[in-house]
Amino acid sequence: MDMDLLRVEHICKTYGDGEAAVHALKDVSFSVPKGEFVAIVGESGSGKSTLLNMIGALDTPTSGRVYINEKDTFAMKEKALTVFRRRNIGFIFQAFNLIPELSVEQNMIFPLLLDRQRPNKRYLEDLLAVLDLAKRRDHLPSQLSGGQQQRVAIGRALITRPSLVLADEPTGNLDSQNSNEVLALLKKTARQYEQTVIMITHNPAIAHTADRVFQVSDGVLTDLGGCRA
Amino acid sequence: MKSYLSLIPISARVRRRQNRMTLLCIVFAVFLVTAIFSMADMAVRMEQSRLAEKHGQEFTLQTILDSPMGQTLFPIAGVLFVLILIAGVLMISGSINSTVAQRTRFFGMMRCIGMSRQQLARFVRLEALNWCKTAIPIGVILGTASSWILCAILRFVVREEFTAIPLFGVSPIGIASGIIMGAVTVLGAARAPAEQAAKVSPVAAVSGNTGSTSQARRPVRTGAFPIEISLGVHHAVSAKKDLVLMTSSFALSIILFLTFSVLLDWVGYLLPQSASDADLTISGESGANCIPYELAETLRGMDGVENVFGRRSAFDVPAELGQEGLPQVVDLISFDDLDLGALKKDGALRRGSDLSSVYGDNGHVLAVCDPDAPLRMGDTIQVSGQTLTIAGMLTYDLFSGDGLSHGRVSILASGETFLRLTGITDYSLVMVQAANMTDKDAAAISALLDEGLVLQDRRDQRTFGTYIAFVMCVYSFLAIIAMVTVLNIMNSISMSVSARSKQYGAMRAVGMDSRQMTQMIAAEAVTYALAGCVIGCIVGLAVGRVLFITLIQAHFAYAVWTLPVLRLLIVVVFVAAATLAAIYAPSKRMRDMAVTETINEL
Repeated sequence: MDMDLLRVEHICKTYGDGEAAVHALKDVSFSVPKGEFVAIVGESGSGKSTLLNMIGALDTPTSGRVYINEKDTFAMKEKALTVFRRRNIGFIFQAFNLIPELSVEQNMIFPLLLDRQRPNKRYLEDLLAVLDLAKRRDHLPSQLSGGQQQRVAIGRALITRPSLVLADEPTGNLDSQNSNEVLALLKKTARQYEQTVIMITHNPAIAHTADRVFQVSDGVLTDLGGCRA
Repeated sequence: MKSYLSLIPISARVRRRQNRMTLLCIVFAVFLVTAIFSMADMAVRMEQSRLAEKHGQEFTLQTILDSPMGQTLFPIAGVLFVLILIAGVLMISGSINSTVAQRTRFFGMMRCIGMSRQQLARFVRLEALNWCKTAIPIGVILGTASSWILCAILRFVVREEFTAIPLFGVSPIGIASGIIMGAVTVLGAARAPAEQAAKVSPVAAVSGNTGSTSQARRPVRTGAFPIEISLGVHHAVSAKKDLVLMTSSFALSIILFLTFSVLLDWVGYLLPQSASDADLTISGESGANCIPYELAETLRGMDGVENVFGRRSAFDVPAELGQEGLPQVVDLISFDDLDLGALKKDGALRRGSDLSSVYGDNGHVLAVCDPDAPLRMGDTIQVSGQTLTIAGMLTYDLFSGDGLSHGRVSILASGETFLRLTGITDYSLVMVQAANMTDKDAAAISALLDEGLVLQDRRDQRTFGTYIAFVMCVYSFLAIIAMVTVLNIMNSISMSVSARSKQYGAMRAVGMDSRQMTQMIAAEAVTYALAGCVIGCIVGLAVGRVLFITLIQAHFAYAVWTLPVLRLLIVVVFVAAATLAAIYAPSKRMRDMAVTETINEL
């Protein structure tokens, strides 16, 4: 059996202390094998985004550990962690967070440029084609629709061929048609490039298409198992 | 809350830190104008009472404006005033502009909940006036207080002609101009931002891409530099308004510095300060060498005397200059060692002069460098049958009124060389530098003198105090300008970074490390600094040169404008330091910021 790509062990996150302490995550543990498509569902404020940020090492837990490819991310120094993050994890945000001054293509290869690498021409062309952005490669984000912008964000998340893609409500800002397109793309690319995807969503229909569903409620994670037959 | 405008003081309290810079800019502008006009008012009052005392009648402002002081000083004050005014307006509008840009979402929300465009514009204008409520009184008080301090310095330290200046004068003109300047510039500066705020659409509050950053039109050109540098430069260049404001703010301070330093030069020419300035001079009535050598020795041992040195002279000494068409005579003047040393301290020697070889008796002398006296360094001349080598050149003729030689060749020699050439030991001029000399001490010196010798007491005529007072004023003025510039630049960079903090958070999330983050911010700051430095130096040098020619060269023919290398170096160092200071705080804030803070914000 393949080893798990992601292992989360006893993660706790507490904001504030004493009376005012808020326990955002309570002893969360789970693991995800390589190539799985996981959906995280839960109410607003339940701790989903906090969990995703911990997995992506954007935020540090109060206690617990996260292993990606058997690497303990919180044991790494800031600099090493940044490099690890840009090589191994792709992020997709609800608010797209594209850089307005960069063109579609520049936005997509941005993580590579930060890493002083040249993009692989063929892979970039492939991605542009898959994301249906080839004709818009020189456009600025402001000249694109919401769905197109999110596709650019997906491209940016995939350009480094990360083993793990983290998506925080990637379709939260999109209409249903665009949502479906973006989702289908995400799944297609994940399968094509053998990536593990963890996605937060509010949409039960989307959650149903995932390999596995986690529910977060008041900081506690429950594995709802696979939804697909 | 009585009306929607009651929100203004509430929001001002919440945003106190962000508004601090705007307040400071207004205070600064009001302070400067109040101080300048108050001082001008005091000077006019002093001149009025002085003239009235002298001529026994009232004098109008017109008389003073027509006086030599009015003719020279007022135009200069006018030019400087305009420069400061521009600096003030630029800084105020720059900081109001940033505070508005930062709050696009706030304004969008106001529009969402029903504020009309007109109301929004009025809101921004009134908010600006609300700052005046605190800033103008502070500026006026500071301005008046500093005019008192300046008056006190003039009256008690500089004295001389300033003993009649009013001490605690309150100048209605100064205060009124400060208030008007404050209100007018603030309203003027708030106009564009108010219009900009009114244009914010309600959608800005709810849509995902508000972007207080201006809409990009063209993608960043990447490739030449690492991506973070290209982005930083692009941030600076793409927001045209910020670029103009920041660059001009840098440039203006540099221009002010280079202009003010020419004024310092000017005062240096008007009130030359020499290391050989004497408090007492003793001369013979005939100008001949008739002061006994022994007198100088006696004077050295007397109370209140610090230094004594003398000069001897021999005019129209036959000489062979080695060139045809040159006069066959020279004027020979001896300088004692201390007098020679003073030439170097005063900067009266041309570059390359070798003063050390002139001391003692070894045939090396100094000459005046002048188009009319074409002697060069290293030339040899024959005087009284002896060969002399020109070891150094003076920048101007010390012995003529206008600093030009008018064809006379003056040779400066040490006492020993002079003695060998002429055999004269007695002085034609003896100078005494005093140290705490009382009138009794001076009288004792006077009593020593033989008949035919004249003592001139110049202890009251030394202009050192005035010179220092002026230099101090100029430097403190420059220091204030420099400080405000640095603060303004720090604040602007900080605001520009704050406005993009969400973007920076996203960049961090997709893999920008903290060094790259700092480099990006640095690239933005350096772009402003470089542009400001280049423009400031070019314009500053041009203005400085024009001032030099009209103020100095027109009156002191020997003065030559040269590139002020040292000052340019100071500018570069100052700009570099300001840039470093401006980069430090925002980049630290961005490094310390949690990535998660911003990325999920809409």
